[in-house]
Amino acid sequence: MLNFFSPTLALLFQEAERSRLGEMFYQTRAAAANPDLSKFLVIGALLFIIGVAGVLTRRNIIVIFMSIELILNAANLNFIAFSRYLSQTGNPNAVAGQIFAVFVIVVAAAEAAIGLGIVIALYRNKETIWVDEIDLLKW
Amino acid sequence: MQKYIWLVPLLPLIGAAINGLLGRKLRFSETVIGGIAVGSVALSFLISLTAVYSYGHAGWPKPYLTSQDGFSFNWIPGGAVSINQGSDARREIQSQKQVEERLAAMTPEERRQTQSILVATVDSPRYSLLNIEWSYQLDPLSSIFMLIVTGVGLCIFVFATGYMHGETGFYRFFAYMGLFMFAMLVLVMGSNFLMMFVGWEGVGLCSYLLIGYYFDRQEAANASRKAFITNRVGDFGFALAIFGVIATFGSAQYTEVFEQAKSFPIELLGHWGILSWIALGLFIGACGKSAQLPLHVWLPDAMAGPTPVYALIHAATMVTAGLYMVTRTNVIFQHSQTMLLVVALIGAATAIFAATIGITQNDIKKVLAYSTVSQLGFMFMACGVGAFAIGIFHVMTHAFFKALMFLGAGSVIHGMHHEQDMRRMGGLKKYMPYTYWTFMAGWLAICGIIPFSGFWSKDEILWKSAETTYIPLGWLVWLIGTIAATCTAFYMTRLMAMTFWGKERFLEGAGGEADEAHASAYDKGLAAHDALQPSAGDRPRHEPGEHVGPVHEDAAHHAATHGHGDGHHGAHMPHESPPSMWVPLAVLALLAVIGGFVGIGPAFRTITGSEHPGGNLNIVTWLNPVIWNPATRDFNTAEGGHEAAPAEGAHAEAPVAAEGAHGGAAIYGDTGFNLAHSVENSTHSELATEWIFIVISLVVAGIGILLGVLFYVWRPELPNIWAQRLRPLYNASYNKYWVDEFYGLTVTRRTMDAARGVYRFDSKIVDGIVNGLAWLSRQASRIVGGVDKYFVDGLVNTVAAFIARLMSPLFRAAQTGFTQNYALVMVLGLMVAVAAFYGKDIALAVATAVRNITGTVF
Repeated sequence: MLNFFSPTLALLFQEAERSRLGEMFYQTRAAAANPDLSKFLVIGALLFIIGVAGVLTRRNIIVIFMSIELILNAANLNFIAFSRYLSQTGNPNAVAGQIFAVFVIVVAAAEAAIGLGIVIALYRNKETIWVDEIDLLKW
Repeated sequence: MQKYIWLVPLLPLIGAAINGLLGRKLRFSETVIGGIAVGSVALSFLISLTAVYSYGHAGWPKPYLTSQDGFSFNWIPGGAVSINQGSDARREIQSQKQVEERLAAMTPEERRQTQSILVATVDSPRYSLLNIEWSYQLDPLSSIFMLIVTGVGLCIFVFATGYMHGETGFYRFFAYMGLFMFAMLVLVMGSNFLMMFVGWEGVGLCSYLLIGYYFDRQEAANASRKAFITNRVGDFGFALAIFGVIATFGSAQYTEVFEQAKSFPIELLGHWGILSWIALGLFIGACGKSAQLPLHVWLPDAMAGPTPVYALIHAATMVTAGLYMVTRTNVIFQHSQTMLLVVALIGAATAIFAATIGITQNDIKKVLAYSTVSQLGFMFMACGVGAFAIGIFHVMTHAFFKALMFLGAGSVIHGMHHEQDMRRMGGLKKYMPYTYWTFMAGWLAICGIIPFSGFWSKDEILWKSAETTYIPLGWLVWLIGTIAATCTAFYMTRLMAMTFWGKERFLEGAGGEADEAHASAYDKGLAAHDALQPSAGDRPRHEPGEHVGPVHEDAAHHAATHGHGDGHHGAHMPHESPPSMWVPLAVLALLAVIGGFVGIGPAFRTITGSEHPGGNLNIVTWLNPVIWNPATRDFNTAEGGHEAAPAEGAHAEAPVAAEGAHGGAAIYGDTGFNLAHSVENSTHSELATEWIFIVISLVVAGIGILLGVLFYVWRPELPNIWAQRLRPLYNASYNKYWVDEFYGLTVTRRTMDAARGVYRFDSKIVDGIVNGLAWLSRQASRIVGGVDKYFVDGLVNTVAAFIARLMSPLFRAAQTGFTQNYALVMVLGLMVAVAAFYGKDIALAVATAVRNITGTVF
């Protein structure tokens, strides 16, 4: 997993090096017209962090599900971004990222189905969907 | 057939194994068991006969024929032994010349003293490779014993099939008997000392088993133990002697041992060289087995066994094992004048001792038992005076007539419905003619009436005692022997008179003097038995649970003839025994009559025309190759060897006589007064001297018989009168000189006391120590257990509890059960990991970004 992060971080650092406070607006404008890879990664990272925070902090299990969807989509965004980046550099395998994204969506759908099933079962047993009232893992 | 002599001991063993192992399980009938036993012995006898015939036939004289080329295997691969004792003597042989020079320089008296101890001083020990093989040896001596054992044994086996009829444990009896035959044949046929020892112990064991055949009877059990223990004393001496032989000669093979032994120096009277000690050990063994004073006590008690056993083991074969051994090792015995004297005196003492006891005994078997002891004494007398061949001759004739008389006694007991007390017999001549006439032959033979077999051997023994040049005191031995012969004739006549002649006392009712005598005639400690019971002698007993054999077809007839079980004891009429019993008697009687002709003495040379008539068939000539000659220092293997032996032909021809007399004197020193020589000096005729002694022995035999007839036929009141007049002597004889009591008081009780003391020591001290140690260990283990339980376990528990109490809230707190907590920890862990790996890079990147954005440098 750490290896997965390392190119991302390297690019982040390159981007940070190039930036100057004076050129910031120009760059921002140019980047908005043709955003480069780092923008996608930043957005993905933000999405991921929001998802994780949601998972860790929300009490409603449905919201936690939604946060998980956010995390998955953050990953999807990374896949798509790298696919795009690689296709720009002419890599013939660039389409793999898009295929992965499709897989992730499928898995997310399946996971949502199972998860909601679990939630319903849980609710039938415990009559709650608040996770701080469910500590079955303790036993 | 010589190649197959290994079958001779093996066949009875096979028969015994079949009978003993399968007889009970397969419920063999008596016919089958008897057939197997008799058949195996008969086959052995046939093989022995043919082997001995071919041996004596071809290549004579051939001293030894070991079956090494036919059958032998390495029994005990021993390895190297160091020989220390023999080295000196061997050194002396090597430097014989020096020794002779030194001896020549001495005075005769000095020479006598020094001869046997003059040895070279320093020598390194020799080494020898001791390999003991299992092989059989066919030589004149063993061939005689093979024929006696298998031949007389065959007669006794046939007899036993009749005598033991209807007995429980029939199979057991014949298994033991077969085993005994095997052991006895190994004893006499083995080619080395260890095999003799194996046979020696084997016959001892079988003797024990057979004496204790009626093991449910206390007296039989006691007698068997007595025999076994007494024999142990002798076996101890024998074992020591074997060790001595191996240490001295480095071999146990007869041929090798005797080859070396014959060049050892002769040890004169009073000198105890190594050969004297070996001879002493051997003779102790012989005393035990052959019931010589003071180890004779077991033999009369051994009659508690069935009568055929007594005939086979304790009259014909086993007790002569001692004689066999002494004759076999005659080289060693002849090297020790001391031991020759001891043997002769012990033999004479035993002869007179047992003969006087025999006079007063009332049990028919007991008389014969003491007679056997007495006759064994005669045989040892012969060996002691150097006439080994004559000793063996007497063994042979004795085997014939004593087996005959024992079987005859068995027949009488059988016919009298297990009555053994002679005071309840009498007049049996009419009822048991076959038994009577055969017994008559045995009686005349043992009394020494010419021409019955006993005469030839006994007369030769007395003559040899009188004229011996081997030992001093020959005249004393002769005197004792003559008196013993008189007693023998007397008590055997008494036995005949009380059993076969005179009034038919069994017709008298029980009670009165006879009953009182009857009660006391049996061994003390017997359960009281009244006169209406059959006496305790050979009563068949049925052991519980034992196979009782097939039901007799004509049980009614059986009951009628044997009369077991019906209440009319007084009305029992004696009856003749079945053919299976009297036919062996007849065979033995024939042998007892003619058996002596193989050893007609030199006194009859004017009649027979030869010193030892019969050529090789004469027993003296036949045995010559195994008898060592001190004059020539070699075995008499040369042709015409009978002329050279001083023991055999001292007075045969002038040159030999001179050599014998002077040579003997030179070899054994001055033997003092010599009866035969003194008589000869006055008669000036050798032949006349010999005839004088023959007449003397015939006359004393006649006196004995006449006295017996006078006392028990003509004047039956005399025995009581004389018993009153000689009351102390009578009591001493009747009570067997209180030897048993003496042993009981000194040996048995002391041993028991010692055993009790040792037991007490064992139970109190040894067990105490052991138990104390056990107690100590228990206490120690209790302490250790306490320490373990309370200290070690406590420590462990304390530490564990402490740790558990301390740490458990911590770990418990971590386990909230909320999924989000776990996820949080995972995320935190991820962050920590990322920070650990990329913290620096991230910090750098953030710093760079900030610098780029703000333009400031932190």
